[in-house]
Amino acid sequence: MPVSSAMSFLPAIEIKNLLKDYRTSLRGVKLRAVDGLSLRVPENSIFGLLGPNGSGKSTTLKILLGLVKPTVGECSVFGHPAGSIEARELVGFLPEAPYFYKHLSGYELVRFYARMSAVPTGVLEARVAETLDLVGMTTAADRRVGTYSKGMLQRIGLAQAIVHDPQLVILDEPTAGVDPLGSAAIGAVLLAMKRRGKTVVLCSHRLGQVEELCDHVAILDKGRLVLEGAIASVLARQEQHVLTVEGWSAAAYEAVKSALEAHNASLLNVEHPRISLEKLFVEKLSRNTGEKTSSFGYAHGREEQYGPLGRPETPPAAQPLPHAPAVEVSLWHKGKKPPTLPQ
Amino acid sequence: MNREALQRVASLATNTFTEALRQRFFAFLMLLGVMLALSGILLRTFNFGTSELKFLADFGFGGVFLFGSILAVVMTVQLFFSELESRTALTLLARPVRRWEFFIGKFFGIQILLAVFIAVLIGVLGALLAMRSWELGREALRLGMPEPWFSTHGLLVFAFLQCLRLAIVSALTLFVCSFARTFLYAVVVSAMATLACQLQGIGDAALAQNKQETLLHLFVENCGRVIPDLQVFDLGAPLVLQREGLPATVVLGVIGYGLLYIPVLLLLGIWLFRDREI
Repeated sequence: MPVSSAMSFLPAIEIKNLLKDYRTSLRGVKLRAVDGLSLRVPENSIFGLLGPNGSGKSTTLKILLGLVKPTVGECSVFGHPAGSIEARELVGFLPEAPYFYKHLSGYELVRFYARMSAVPTGVLEARVAETLDLVGMTTAADRRVGTYSKGMLQRIGLAQAIVHDPQLVILDEPTAGVDPLGSAAIGAVLLAMKRRGKTVVLCSHRLGQVEELCDHVAILDKGRLVLEGAIASVLARQEQHVLTVEGWSAAAYEAVKSALEAHNASLLNVEHPRISLEKLFVEKLSRNTGEKTSSFGYAHGREEQYGPLGRPETPPAAQPLPHAPAVEVSLWHKGKKPPTLPQ
Repeated sequence: MNREALQRVASLATNTFTEALRQRFFAFLMLLGVMLALSGILLRTFNFGTSELKFLADFGFGGVFLFGSILAVVMTVQLFFSELESRTALTLLARPVRRWEFFIGKFFGIQILLAVFIAVLIGVLGALLAMRSWELGREALRLGMPEPWFSTHGLLVFAFLQCLRLAIVSALTLFVCSFARTFLYAVVVSAMATLACQLQGIGDAALAQNKQETLLHLFVENCGRVIPDLQVFDLGAPLVLQREGLPATVVLGVIGYGLLYIPVLLLLGIWLFRDREI
């Protein structure tokens, strides 16, 4: 769906002073699910909406989609009031633990949702095929949804959310119950969507993946916003720096330490860089297959591989392992109390 | 209504129908209905003095209404609440699907199901009547008596009227579903409402005999003005077994009665469902 030039100046989502009360009994006792939330989701970003269970994430998403009405406050999607037909035309949604019509095949299901989103008849078949290919479900498309595994259900759920090529994709726990390969593959699709100019709102408890994928995050607790910002700025320790060095030695250590002290800085920590266990898992499984894998990273013969899948996207997790001699060096400015150096 | 909205309603109706076809409850009721119609052959000796064809027809008509009403209530509630409870409604209504499109799509899907049910039962009944009228006709010819007769055309008109009758029941059930919070509540209230609609004619007749202006009298009288009277669709015997049939004005009047109530009930349901939190 083309984005108008005027739209490009608008945030993908704008929430102002949102408040939502649910009535929990006939006596008028209310539960406040969202409490004065204000938020802007920039266009063409991957935005992580985080928080513990019951923090108001799902309610906020439902309000954005027009499934629930706010008690007070305003929400807009690319400038259109949240819940309006114009706003919903621009949004794709995958709910948490989705259930789909078991009697339909994967192909029929995605086609059904494409029809629901008014995808023009002339491009319908091509769009469905392209989307199934993108999520790596082409060869399983003729099977009934009732026979799908958890990972396949999430992938077909992702397909139904993006089949109409929405500008904004809202995903509630898209990788819950999915193995690391599937999870990395979903992450690859999200990155591909961002490269195509889309905006993604991701609710997930898998913080490692959120950190890897998201540009911005917001953390909610008890319906209130407790933190918001670009992921790089909220996670960085501004007073420290990390250098990654190859060819490290004891002499180099001494030299660097002296040089830093001369510049009024301390060498705090020397250690080998680490990758996440999730990355290692994906890397090892991809190597062991010895075959070319798709964006979904599955090897032929596995339960969830059905022929030539997806686009030739490299999963973000499938990066080469760092060389052993590489070390990470943390620096500390003097004047602040340095922690004990490891030996 | 634009073309896209029509396509969405059609897709929703088709999906509702295909989902319903796979429900065991539908197959169970269909089997019961067919068995009831067929059992008329075995029980025809207890025809209480009426003609055998009338006995068979009444048995079949009763099966269509009884099982059809149960199907209309339970399947409507089941198909509506399954969307809410399994949260498929979230993925549907988060799209540019209007609430009324969802509601009407469900309604038409259920109507296709009910039409299939009625077609099968009326088909079995028609075959049964044809078989027995042929056998009895040969016997009557031998004895020099008038041949038994039934109208196939009247049977088709009756089938159409039953479609309208059950459409009222399912529209009434959808109206209840639009505000009901639980499956059980929706089934119980819809079943009670259907029973009230069926007995309304009897209540009116009882009131006509009792002229006292009691509170109950006023309540029943006013209810009778609002809720549909399902007994007006009980035209099976005159349509199917009487050679003179029924005047077209009577049939058209009943059709108009049905076509008046269905949209009113649907509009009320859509109005309540419009602001429902999913």
